[in-house]
Amino acid sequence: MIGFLRLYALQVGAAVRMSFADRANFALQVAGMAINNLVFLTLWVLFFAGFKSVGGWGFSDMALLLGLTMTIVGTCGVAFGGYRDMAVSILRGELVALLTQPKGLISRLLARESLATAWGDLAGGITVLSLFAKVSFTDLPLLILALSAGLTVYLSAAISFACLAFWASGARSFARDLTDFTLLFSSYPGSIYQGAVKVVAYSILPAGFVVMAPVEMLRAPSPTSVAVVVTAAVGYAALAAGLFHLGLRRYRSGASLA
Amino acid sequence: MSAVITIANLRKQYSYAKRGRGLFGGFSPQHVSIDAVDGVSFQVERGERVAVIGPNGAGKSTTLKMLSGILEPTSGEASVLGLTPWRDRKALAYRIGVVFGQRSQLWGELPARDSFNQLRHIYDQDKAVFERRLGEMVERFALAELLDQPVHRMSLGQRMRCEITASLLHGPGLLFLDEPTIGLDVTAKAAIRDFIRDHARDHGQTVLLTSHDTRDIELVCDRVIVVNAGRVVVDQPTDQLRRRFLGRKIVTLLFNGAQIVLDLPGVTRRASDAHAVVLDVDTRLVRVEQVITAALTHGGVEDITIEDPPMEEVIHDIYASAVATR
Repeated sequence: MIGFLRLYALQVGAAVRMSFADRANFALQVAGMAINNLVFLTLWVLFFAGFKSVGGWGFSDMALLLGLTMTIVGTCGVAFGGYRDMAVSILRGELVALLTQPKGLISRLLARESLATAWGDLAGGITVLSLFAKVSFTDLPLLILALSAGLTVYLSAAISFACLAFWASGARSFARDLTDFTLLFSSYPGSIYQGAVKVVAYSILPAGFVVMAPVEMLRAPSPTSVAVVVTAAVGYAALAAGLFHLGLRRYRSGASLA
Repeated sequence: MSAVITIANLRKQYSYAKRGRGLFGGFSPQHVSIDAVDGVSFQVERGERVAVIGPNGAGKSTTLKMLSGILEPTSGEASVLGLTPWRDRKALAYRIGVVFGQRSQLWGELPARDSFNQLRHIYDQDKAVFERRLGEMVERFALAELLDQPVHRMSLGQRMRCEITASLLHGPGLLFLDEPTIGLDVTAKAAIRDFIRDHARDHGQTVLLTSHDTRDIELVCDRVIVVNAGRVVVDQPTDQLRRRFLGRKIVTLLFNGAQIVLDLPGVTRRASDAHAVVLDVDTRLVRVEQVITAALTHGGVEDITIEDPPMEEVIHDIYASAVATR
């Protein structure tokens, strides 16, 4: 495990250095994303200036949700940036060269890129959590759990979507669309989702487990809410691993290469 | 000698959905099967350098992918260094080096040195052993100036030198090369061929390569396996094949005036037009130099091109010969 983490850290370090290579481009992308997040936050500030709550969610709850979303997406983009184009990597046949090596298959796909824009998300997320989310120092262990679980679910969902590329060439953009939909669902108060939409948000596009359940856990901690968050993370990670394994079997059978 | 690779009746069948005719053809696809590799059997002994050649779609790359553990066969048996490639892929990966001419194992944006260093960790290499091997490669492959250059800024030839280096840093006893010289210029091809041959000879390494270029076969390999339509057509030493099939050159002469008639043994005229003559030269009967000298003596020559016959022609000759002798 230590060897794997060391190798992964080495690969991410290289990916981050690559993203820094063009400094002007890096700075522009980070600034662009920070401004984008600031505008989004401002809209919610204006909204809550007029309406004090949405389905029981106040501004600080919304700030907690946005802070979690930005931090999760930022961390994913910095440390696992290859997830964005994983389907494309599979369809381009990049696995052929990687399969000749003894280890580092998923890690190489995830660490192949570090997204400059993600630093803007990460900085924005930490700022929002620190200034507007009304989380105290004593909430830190639960906050770390919420971020870890949300990140696991988000990344697992993205990997699962990318695995569609093992079965369908159309997954090239569809996988990214599904990931973006999950992100979109994660950007609005959980209380607005009802009925079938709520089922979707807690299953296929698991925004519910990326941020909504973690927010509920932070606002009203209980053994049940912790168990829901942890179980969802483990479940989606297992699903992603299983799908990748199945897809790889199909790939190695030649069905995807024909 | 001991067999490093043994394959018996190896088959790989692909199937795909073929779109039906008409506007709604996509809704009623036909499932079509293709025998990419159809019962291939051969052995490769330790230290041999073997070329697998054949036209596009002959099953060369598919065979290589099965032998390196990437693909699982439809049926048949294979043993590579005592392992079954598709079942023992990870264990085998530590003991083989693989280069796909059109697929990179390096990190494009990173300097080559960083890629090599990451491979050291992927292959659990001892640092001192790794540094020694890298030093040897740098010297023999003239890589010193490339080490700190991002791979994506390198020429194709430079990148291929780095790819081959990457595949050898963990000291594999067996090297698989799929079209290692594809797209390279003459000088880069020569450097790659010399390196592969010399390195394999010095380290007792076994090499299995696929190529479209007859010079790769002549200059690197001591045995040739010709495959066509997924089957082995010919399996014989390169010397024997060279004498029979690789002794030809195509010489194209461009003229600014009247054409000439070269009456030399072993020279036959191919398709020509008003300003160009294409000659088929049998180098066993006449040297290319003699043909050029004769043409220049005549005068009016504007340009000369000397080429190997296309692989498809060589394969055709070999195949026709094999069928005739059955």
